Amino acid sequence: MLPLSLLTAAQNKPMLVELKNGETFNGHLVNCDNFMNITLREVYQTSADGDRFWKLKECYIRGSTIKYLRVPDTLLDAVKEEQTRAREAGRSARGAGSGGGGGGTRGIGGRGAPPRGRGGPRGAGPRGTRGRGRG
Amino acid sequence: MASLQGYVDRRVLLVLQDGRVIVGTLVGFDQKSNVVLSESKERVYSMEEGVEEIPLGLYLVKGDMIVLIGEIDDAIDEAVDLATIHAEPILPIRY
Repeated sequence: MLPLSLLTAAQNKPMLVELKNGETFNGHLVNCDNFMNITLREVYQTSADGDRFWKLKECYIRGSTIKYLRVPDTLLDAVKEEQTRAREAGRSARGAGSGGGGGGTRGIGGRGAPPRGRGGPRGAGPRGTRGRGRG
Repeated sequence: MASLQGYVDRRVLLVLQDGRVIVGTLVGFDQKSNVVLSESKERVYSMEEGVEEIPLGLYLVKGDMIVLIGEIDDAIDEAVDLATIHAEPILPIRY
């Protein structure tokens, strides 16, 4: 399971975020992106030494400053279930007889198809500098 | 190519840059070595009293912070009585 899939599934869930400087933020996850930048709502901020507190309505945290996130235990099962459901759906969509070969969540089609599609036009395009046939 | 794949679903021990030691079951990781640990506990070492284990639950640790990840041999780990271990805590990295 990818850390980011867990994080995206944690939307609207309570979490604790500790920054590299030791400050902690308790709040509900509003949104996150692939850099692990996050926004939290109804936040309790605690200083690194733990003796000062602030209440924030909403805050944005840059992903690179985060040390770790603590999320609800129940999320693990929720994400696992969601992934099995997605796998099942993908398998039935691809057709029952095709013997999927355990492609996991990233479908076989996803990996194979794009290079085939793009490869042709790119090679033949105006940028093709490898004029092997003429040289 | 070095990978954490072999550690998935195993008990692992993490040492972080701030000196913390965390044990848990590795449930996932990504290219940047961000890791997801379930049933994780922090092991707090001190000279005065035995090792204290603080339950942390489901944890997502950023790869930036990780110094090492080691697989735990359950048989050996369970044979150790943490309460009898007295050790200096690991100091945080300083720049």
